[in-house]
Amino acid sequence: MKPIGEMAVAELGAYVASHLRGRDIDVVLSGGSCVSIYSRGKCVSMGLDLVNTRFAKRKRIREAMAEIGFQEQGRSFTHQDTGFLVEFPAGPLAVGQEPVQRVDELTLPTGTLRIISATDCVKDRLASYYHWDDRQCLAQAVLVVQANDVDLGEIEQWSDREGKGEEFRRIEEKLART
Amino acid sequence: MLEPILGSTSRERVLVFILARKEGYARGIAKFFGVSLDPIQKQLEKLESGGVLVSRAAGRTRLYELNPRHPFVRELRSLLEKALSFYPADERERLVMNRRRPRRRGKPL
Repeated sequence: MKPIGEMAVAELGAYVASHLRGRDIDVVLSGGSCVSIYSRGKCVSMGLDLVNTRFAKRKRIREAMAEIGFQEQGRSFTHQDTGFLVEFPAGPLAVGQEPVQRVDELTLPTGTLRIISATDCVKDRLASYYHWDDRQCLAQAVLVVQANDVDLGEIEQWSDREGKGEEFRRIEEKLART
Repeated sequence: MLEPILGSTSRERVLVFILARKEGYARGIAKFFGVSLDPIQKQLEKLESGGVLVSRAAGRTRLYELNPRHPFVRELRSLLEKALSFYPADERERLVMNRRRPRRRGKPL
């Protein structure tokens, strides 16, 4: 298998997630590294947020990560051969106020990565834009829409349920014209 | 009041303070309740680590607020608001009625 130091973000995510699954720890990739994957690398993230969906104890995660050479440093796990940081945000797996209903799978030579869908990735970025006016996240949402078959109707309905329908309609053109 | 539910008086203090004031920092919360800094600091860190709070630096101070992206934030607000309504009137007023408008530097009180 490819050495850890040569793995791209999705490959490393798949490698770590598959190893954890073998230890009965279920994780789903969320956050900025999904943008990296769905934008085909147009946006680079060095942090992998693997949401700990079944609330495995930190001690079990620490032990499983140590088996593949990752050391705990504060909230993150680092490996001497790669610059990527791995974090395990607390569950539940959600976009805004709602649970994630559909999880996709990427099968790569390094393993299988469970990842939020491109549509949920856009919602995840828009949640940060809506709540913190984070323009970087809006730009990332646009990148994901440009490169994927994203359900904008579902995103509009979700925005309405989040109480952010007006905000969505202000940016809809920016998303739709891509 | 919420200690049986939240499992910690310090956690309740942190959450109720942040609900009432919108944001808070460890020393300010500890001073308000007249308690030591350490348990308040620990609860802020635990709540942030669990995604319930988010923080940002303001100068040398770390300010915490409820994470608007947490899936239970609406329900948590409701619970805390209800708890706050049961607080003694003087304590509730002290929590809520703090000055929030700006004050120009050097302006006399």
